[in-house]
Amino acid sequence: MAAPRVCVPGERLVSTADCESGRGTYVHHGYIYSCLAGYMHKRNLDGKELPIVEVIRQKEDAVPRIGSIVTGKVTSVSGRMCKCAITCVERTTLREPFRGLIRKEDVRATEKDRVEMYKCFRPGDIVLARVLSLGDANCYLLSTAENELGVVLALSEAGAQMVPVSWSDMQCPKTGSKEFRKVAKVQLQQE
Amino acid sequence: MPGDSRRIAGPQDSRAPHWFGRQQETHQEAGGTRQDGRGDHDLRPVYLHTGVVSQATGSAYMEMGQTKVIAAVYGPREISRREEFTMKGRLCCELKFATFSCRQRRQHIQDNQERDGSLIVLQALEPAVCLDKFPKSQVDVYITVLQDDGSALAAAITCAALGLADAGVMMYDVVVGCSVRQCGEDQWLDPSVREEFRPEVESAGDHGMVTVGLLPSLNQVSALVLDGHLQQQTAVQAVKTCISGCQGIYPILKDCLVSSTRRNVPSLEQKSGQTSTDGQNGQT
Amino acid sequence: MSSTLGVLSDAERLFIVHGVQDDLRSDGRACEDYRHVEVETDVVSNTSGSARLRLGNTDILVGVKAEMGEPDPGRPKEGKLEFFVDCSANASPEFEGRGGEELAIEVSNALQRIFNSKSTLDLTALCIIPGGQCWVLFVDVLVLECGGNLFDAVSLAVKAALYNTRIPTVIVTADDEGQQEIELSDDPYDVKRLDVDNVPLIVTLSKIGHRHVVDASWEEELCSLARLTVGVTQKGTIAGLNKEGSGSLDPESIYEMIESGKKVGVVLNSRLKEALEKEENSKREKVGFLG
Repeated sequence: MAAPRVCVPGERLVSTADCESGRGTYVHHGYIYSCLAGYMHKRNLDGKELPIVEVIRQKEDAVPRIGSIVTGKVTSVSGRMCKCAITCVERTTLREPFRGLIRKEDVRATEKDRVEMYKCFRPGDIVLARVLSLGDANCYLLSTAENELGVVLALSEAGAQMVPVSWSDMQCPKTGSKEFRKVAKVQLQQE
Repeated sequence: MPGDSRRIAGPQDSRAPHWFGRQQETHQEAGGTRQDGRGDHDLRPVYLHTGVVSQATGSAYMEMGQTKVIAAVYGPREISRREEFTMKGRLCCELKFATFSCRQRRQHIQDNQERDGSLIVLQALEPAVCLDKFPKSQVDVYITVLQDDGSALAAAITCAALGLADAGVMMYDVVVGCSVRQCGEDQWLDPSVREEFRPEVESAGDHGMVTVGLLPSLNQVSALVLDGHLQQQTAVQAVKTCISGCQGIYPILKDCLVSSTRRNVPSLEQKSGQTSTDGQNGQT
Repeated sequence: MSSTLGVLSDAERLFIVHGVQDDLRSDGRACEDYRHVEVETDVVSNTSGSARLRLGNTDILVGVKAEMGEPDPGRPKEGKLEFFVDCSANASPEFEGRGGEELAIEVSNALQRIFNSKSTLDLTALCIIPGGQCWVLFVDVLVLECGGNLFDAVSLAVKAALYNTRIPTVIVTADDEGQQEIELSDDPYDVKRLDVDNVPLIVTLSKIGHRHVVDASWEEELCSLARLTVGVTQKGTIAGLNKEGSGSLDPESIYEMIESGKKVGVVLNSRLKEALEKEENSKREKVGFLG
């Protein structure tokens, strides 16, 4: 196999007649250009006539987008909301955290009116959440209203790492006491 | 003048001994060559390197003759100051001359020239960066001139653009900077510090210095600064010379970026081994 | 820079761009027309020279104060010129506190750039004792109202104020021991004037759509991503040039913009000179500048 082509930002790749523009590229006057320094990659998708051309660079830095799954650490919990520091976007670890916010009504999909924030999150918990919107100038708005989203790692009052026992409870292996959390049903992600 | 209380500043009104000596000659040697033996439209040797600051998201180092510039890029990160919500990202630039970079010692606090330079570099880079790809976050670019031997602003533009590309910030194009010094009829590309425009030395006639930032593959000018007095035709001619100078530096920048990508970014074969998609490496 | 002053809807933007395309702007001007300019000099009595200028809705007040100081060691035979721009909160609430600082720095850098040449203003005329004493001209620009095209308005006002500046005559005498003494003339009318013939004016060309306009109103400034500020002298020399804004320009349009900048700048220079001379000869009684 020939060595993959390395391109730099602004390099003209192919005509839009031959390919569709994918990640890391942009279209200008009927041609696809690269906007990253990385490897050019063409890929055929089922049900599409034209292959997609992408430029891939591992160091690509992610920012949270609407719909992306983020990992965060709970920093504070109040009656109406829970604040967290977003440390990962999808599978990229961020160098610096972004601020996120889970409102009371976005914690779970059912019985939204009966959510009690203190029974869902505690400071220090690691949560998986989906970005609902870019929010305001300060925070991203996050939601855990899916079975797969919520607390994935939490420490008990005794300081031990708890194991989930139901969607709303976690148990401390040391003392056996149960604590309330909005537990995520962790799924193995397909590589 | 407000001083930085955390540092011990030298005496405010001290002078380097050069001040009292003979002023340096600006003019070229007889016989059409310049002091360092270059032709009028020759560039100095350029050296570029990426990934010099390991803490930063991306970084670059540049030498143009004796001019040495280092740039570090951080981000995209959260906008620090309380500002309004924007769907576009923000770019912040800070240009600093190291205190020992020039003949005259510079202060730690950003002076007017540095502030002006920061703005020029920022406006040179802004058209090139896809700001809509990182809403409500900012990318910080810090540029330090380690040694100023002329054309520092042009070098800062090129170096910052290389740093951004190394950081993997999405860009429409890279930016290349280049300067021209106009002295009477003569046009010197990529002037050294002795050839640079100094308003106090000049007399009548066409004289000035032009710096251009070019997006080479889109053929767009993103920065243009002219100091001094030039006739309209001369000014246009100087801009054209700058553009051709930029196009001379572009292949070097491109080579540097390609080789650093090959070196630092894991190649596609390993990646397509992991993924189950029917990956096909394109070669056009 | 003017993004602080308001926002424009897409429809408004399109209206302006289409108008510029047809050489007819929303206030009826063609692309290379200036708005009405009013200039008045000698408006503040405590200064050595002052001017107030109104360009459309942009309102500038400039005061020049001459003080004595030490020259730069690098240029012992020259006086100094210092620019300070103040975007007061009068012009826009956005400028409150440090809000106007960024814009103020931009404007003073632009002024510095066009004055950054020996042939602009004869600074040697400001020398009193070489290496010892010189005149320092503090040019303070106060932005009272910001209605677009700030750079041009400021440069016009600065030139008018410098034209109006009168520096007291001083006599240097040396006593027997070689000690030099500076003596100020007793006659308040015994003054020196500055030669401002070579002082450039800034012409800002804003790229809107595929064309460019001079003297953009603030609505038009919001439509333009890239501007070129060109310093133009009376003789049509380009004195300082800078691209501003977050957009880029293609080389061909830069050459066109420089050309029309020169054309407009020469006319502007001669018109300002006419107006200043006419005002000086008219001997009209001054009745406060906001009248």
